[in-house]
Amino acid sequence: MSENKQLDRNASWAKPVSRLSTADLPRGAVNLNVAGRQVVGPLQGFGQLWQKTYRVRLSGSEVTPTQVIQVWKENFPRFWPPGNKFFGPLTGIKPGEVAVLNLAGPGGLSAPGGMPVISTGVLVIYADDESFSFMTPQGHMFAAIITFSAFDDDGTVVQVQALVRANDPLYELSFRLGVGHKAEDEFWQQTLENLAAHFGVRGQVQQKVTLVDARVQWSQARNIWHNAAIRTAFYTPVALVRRLIKR
Amino acid sequence: MEHIFSASERELPGMVVIDLQGEINAFADQELSAAYERAEGHATPTVVLNFKEVSYINSTGIALIVGLLARARKAGRRLAVYGLSDHYQEIFQITRLADFMNIYSDEASLVAELS
Repeated sequence: MSENKQLDRNASWAKPVSRLSTADLPRGAVNLNVAGRQVVGPLQGFGQLWQKTYRVRLSGSEVTPTQVIQVWKENFPRFWPPGNKFFGPLTGIKPGEVAVLNLAGPGGLSAPGGMPVISTGVLVIYADDESFSFMTPQGHMFAAIITFSAFDDDGTVVQVQALVRANDPLYELSFRLGVGHKAEDEFWQQTLENLAAHFGVRGQVQQKVTLVDARVQWSQARNIWHNAAIRTAFYTPVALVRRLIKR
Repeated sequence: MEHIFSASERELPGMVVIDLQGEINAFADQELSAAYERAEGHATPTVVLNFKEVSYINSTGIALIVGLLARARKAGRRLAVYGLSDHYQEIFQITRLADFMNIYSDEASLVAELS
């Protein structure tokens, strides 16, 4: 492989950051629980370790994997389920970019005043022509690496694959009760269905879930200090009072 | 695109080394997993991944390595690595793999410390 090609491929990775920072966010973004946080991978989380794979086949479409990823990177928020907002850079998904997420609760539930149930973020750790990946910050529901990819398998197949642990005991409890898993599964199923619909395909999403490690990591229980759901819940009444005062 | 990957294992005192070669991406999944399973059969306390002949790792490849590390921790084994370029040492820092594994520059330094 030529040195230039190797350098190009190395540029697909983000540069190391000790703590996340956010800038130039669109108006309306509730930016909490991101700036100053460290990213966490599946090894830093608390709960059971799961590998979840969601796939949709773009049957009947001529679109190539590279074209799918290009569209997905440029329009990532468009394919999310209603009620969930992804505030990323206008340039699309690029290595090292930080996006703020304003997420609804299960079933699209929002907090009073249209506030998000959880305000958190992601770091784009990798992006090339056929895939891109996010890692999550402290306080996010998941300690995870989530990879979005497309590949050719007698036609184009689009995939979301998450290697994920609940970040703290409270999130883990929601997983054990089934609420967290159901919300996550519906989220990515709907995202893939929306993406497939963009290419004119009514896609059937296939899902494969593997429990990689059934143990919880008690050493990470203190992650709850950063829990973005709790912190967003405390912030919501403050934000509503501020809005009232401004009127 | 190059999808050639191979993995083979060999035993040293107290450890089994998995020599990796080629690109670690989605296509490496089965081969890497099979090599790790064979390494588990050696019942040594340490499994070592040799990255000296690895030309590229994408994010799916990193997720595969995270999966191996989780399996090693679950079984109470230590996972160590050597032969990573400066760039991939940086990637192991970003993805926080480095928090959970010892990274050595070469096999000699690894053997000197772990033997």
